[in-house]
Amino acid sequence: MKRLRQFAYSEPATLDEAVAALASGGEDARVLAGGTDLIVDMKTERLPTSAVVNIKKIPGLTGIDDLGEATRIGALTKVTAIEGSQLVQQRHPALVDAASVLASPPVRALATIGGNVGRASPASDLGPALIVSAASARIRGTMGEREELVEGLYVGPGQTSLTCSDIITDFIIPSPPVGFGSGHVKLGKRGGGTDIAMAGTSASVVIEDGVVRDCKIALASLGPIPFRAPTAEAALSGQAPTEETLGAAAEAAAEDASPIGDVRASASYRATLARVLTLRALRAAVASSGGWVVA
Amino acid sequence: MTFRIDTTINGDRTVIDVDPTLTLLEVLREQLLLSGTKEGCGVGECGTCVVLCDGEPIASCLVLAGDAAGCSIETIEGLADSGELSDVQRAFVRTGALQCGFCTPAMVLTATALLREDAAPDAEEVKKALGGILCRCGAYPKILEAVLEVSGEGA
Repeated sequence: MKRLRQFAYSEPATLDEAVAALASGGEDARVLAGGTDLIVDMKTERLPTSAVVNIKKIPGLTGIDDLGEATRIGALTKVTAIEGSQLVQQRHPALVDAASVLASPPVRALATIGGNVGRASPASDLGPALIVSAASARIRGTMGEREELVEGLYVGPGQTSLTCSDIITDFIIPSPPVGFGSGHVKLGKRGGGTDIAMAGTSASVVIEDGVVRDCKIALASLGPIPFRAPTAEAALSGQAPTEETLGAAAEAAAEDASPIGDVRASASYRATLARVLTLRALRAAVASSGGWVVA
Repeated sequence: MTFRIDTTINGDRTVIDVDPTLTLLEVLREQLLLSGTKEGCGVGECGTCVVLCDGEPIASCLVLAGDAAGCSIETIEGLADSGELSDVQRAFVRTGALQCGFCTPAMVLTATALLREDAAPDAEEVKKALGGILCRCGAYPKILEAVLEVSGEGA
């Protein structure tokens, strides 16, 4: 494998120093979090890189905290920590499902949640799970701090609305109401996990009195970014969760998807996966809400 | 430009000046001459470059040298430091759990990390833990057999 090209390397001790280093480094300065995407993109020269700003020496960017109304996950929290978190499992099961199928164990031990979102891969595993969990990202930049829905960060393949000097510091995920459930399902060439998704889907539901009051469905590897499937969500909202209504929503998800064909799967196979995986994700979401699907 | 890192390699404190554009894998193999760790794909897909970082298997081809600072790194060379093979290594030899041997250091280290966490993993747990490492010879059945031989479950 090729060596990395030369770049300026820094390990700022504070967020302000890091933002300043990125601002002065220009548009080819990169934030280094887990490195499992950045180092690959540098080796394959997909991303021209003049400077690497390693933010791992900055305190306070890791950890999973119960804030009562919400769960806070630091941007540098490792995927393995999310996979093993009881709190996240209890509150945001889709996120644990997604973390447990992201790449392979020796990559999950390095990869971070902030890096996964910032990389904005259309095939992101955590992206759709965060979207159906209504997660926001807290961002520090030259203009100070702001909070944005994860859903709104994705602009295009590998592109976010973040500027070159913005750093995601943590994620805030609202604590779900009673009757909430969520799940994530993915299919890659090497089975459930390990590989990049041919398709991935997350779903969340809030079930009240046997009826789906709220439903979110998000798709990955089925369009240029991780995105919501509005027709599918509308098809299920207000319905009792039966095999028939879940199936209708899954059919609609295939319509919402706009997959391309590539080395991993053809467009038509991906459209089929959109339906099948959405159905499975919905079943998982209903089951984790404590409800059951009526046959 | 070089960068000084203070790290522990196979139990020995190691303070070295590294080029920050090198990966941990390159520093281990080329600067410290610990060539037991192998480079396969170089992009985190094959798992051949696994070393243990604070006890946890990581893909060393994706780690910049600077991030090894403050860590305790174990490579395959560390397992038989005393001249005696470890239990896992002996089981691999007994079972013949390899053909070309290229993935073996990563398999042995990953199995060692698993067995430290859980003395008696079952076949599914072993497969899950080793799932990130490709063996192009297809020695998986023997590798599984070797790890289960050391596991309390396999006894």
